[in-house]
Amino acid sequence: MSRFDKFFAGFSFRGSTPDYEPGDTLEVMVTGAEDGGTAVARIGDSTLRIEGAPADAVNTRVLVDVDSWDESAHRGVGTYRKTVGESAF
Amino acid sequence: MTETVDGDLSATDGGEPPDGSEFGVGDGTDDGDDSPRIDFYGGKWASTIPLAFFILWAIFQSGVLGIGDTNGLVIGALIGTILGMFFVRGDWKAYADTIFEGMTQRVAATAIVAWLWAGMFADTLQVGGFVEGLIFAADALNVGAATFPAAAFVLCGLLATGIGTGYGATVAFVTLFFPAGVLIGANPVLLFAAILSGAVFGDNLAPVSDTTIVSAVTQDADIGGVVASRFKYAIAAAIPAFVAYLIAGSAMAGVSLEGSAALRDTATAAGLVHLISMGVVIVTAVAGRHIVEAISWGIVVAVAFNLAFGLSSVSDILAFTVTESGTFTALPFVVVGESAGVGGSLYSGAIGFFPLIVLTLLIVSMAQIMIRGGGFAAIQEFLLNTVATNVRRAELTMVMGTATINGMITINTAAEIAIAPYIARIGEKFNINGYRRANILDANTSALGYIFPWAGGVLVGYQVMVGPGGLGAEYGPEMVVNPIDVVPYVFHGWFLVIVFLLAAITGFGREYIPDRTSEEVSRA
Repeated sequence: MSRFDKFFAGFSFRGSTPDYEPGDTLEVMVTGAEDGGTAVARIGDSTLRIEGAPADAVNTRVLVDVDSWDESAHRGVGTYRKTVGESAF
Repeated sequence: MTETVDGDLSATDGGEPPDGSEFGVGDGTDDGDDSPRIDFYGGKWASTIPLAFFILWAIFQSGVLGIGDTNGLVIGALIGTILGMFFVRGDWKAYADTIFEGMTQRVAATAIVAWLWAGMFADTLQVGGFVEGLIFAADALNVGAATFPAAAFVLCGLLATGIGTGYGATVAFVTLFFPAGVLIGANPVLLFAAILSGAVFGDNLAPVSDTTIVSAVTQDADIGGVVASRFKYAIAAAIPAFVAYLIAGSAMAGVSLEGSAALRDTATAAGLVHLISMGVVIVTAVAGRHIVEAISWGIVVAVAFNLAFGLSSVSDILAFTVTESGTFTALPFVVVGESAGVGGSLYSGAIGFFPLIVLTLLIVSMAQIMIRGGGFAAIQEFLLNTVATNVRRAELTMVMGTATINGMITINTAAEIAIAPYIARIGEKFNINGYRRANILDANTSALGYIFPWAGGVLVGYQVMVGPGGLGAEYGPEMVVNPIDVVPYVFHGWFLVIVFLLAAITGFGREYIPDRTSEEVSRA
């Protein structure tokens, strides 16, 4: 991203439920886990279930391949690829 | 608590509360024990007693009684600190140790150093006739009383953006620009507020600002990207603020000062050479030099101009006053006077901030007591469990939480460091991008640090008016503004808060973590 583009990044009104396409690769913060232990990333008010994530993935940044996405419910399922970072704290 | 895709999506699960220890503001859990390090009768909330008492004192003293004496606030902080101690369960040693722990934080030292240097610089420009030069320029450019506040907002904003310290810019402009504006008929309250607005703008946007740096590094975002991404918010608030100052400048009358006509007659262009002194500070700071180095070069250039152009004598800058002539009185900085002492602009500029420095140390220590007593952790728990339950409410919580903490803690950088871990964790729970989190954090930190009567930015400016040899002593009481009077007129500060409230509600500028990743974070 050029210096010029940085000034205009995010220059829009963004909704609270972002949607994604199958095949997208996302970097997300893992925000919680289901009862069965499957990792979950809450992106705004949308939810991405992450299969195959490590048990201690909560509060880490991971790369996820989106496998399916329901635009009406704003929920999707993806596959864990790798951990790329941690929480800022 | 566990999150399920089928149930209510709580944002409170996963992980322990951040302790912020890498920024020196741990929540007391870093020893592996979830219980606070200081136990209070009355629970965690009792740890807020020192700070709460101090705020009530500050409101009563400066707001109700209209007394802006910084030394009075120091006494309020001392009594509040003693009062809190009586609520401690068991040994009081941990409480006493926490006072030292708070005072030795780097953030306090950073503010103190910036004030000392900025004070010396500003006073040296003042004895070099910069005010007379600005009065001359205002007359020559036909900047009248009505447009002076708007001009002060823009120019102070530029200076603050250059030197990165809103406090320093406030000191320089209240010392130099404020009397010039009042003398040509601008309303003192509006003019002081316009200067504070300029300081807010610079503190918020400057890449070398301490608050900008803290906001970026605590949210894992690069400083350059943060500055670029917050430009849209800053401009959205600055344009209406500028218009508001033009309108209010026409509507609000100035004061009549005895002798102002005579002072205007003394206006000369020579003092304008110090625009170069200010330029040296801005250019050096923007070039990436440390603020201490930048202002030091400004002081060197200002002293050189004063002496080279005969704008001041050596003894105006530094003077050892003795009571009898002797061998050393041949030196230009040793003079004979009625009482022995040290003086000059370097001296008065630095010591003018001594009361505020003591107050800063006490405030930071009171905040640390609140952190070690669990008050901060209790606030975080409350926010995550009951308020921030969806992304819009989370962002509103971040905006309001930052504003509240900055309203409570006078020194805005200290407040920002205290709230930063909460902003990071609440934002991450909704995958809100680091740039967005940094912008929410810094905008409210910058704005609230210059609005309320007890805010550090307001107090530094007020100190210039009421301090020894200050504007009040030099020009009269019309040159002193009651800090509570400026609250409604710090337009850029208020507009910045409003912009972010609207941004949280409408989603303007919102970015999620998957949208883009930050470049390497510079912690320089």
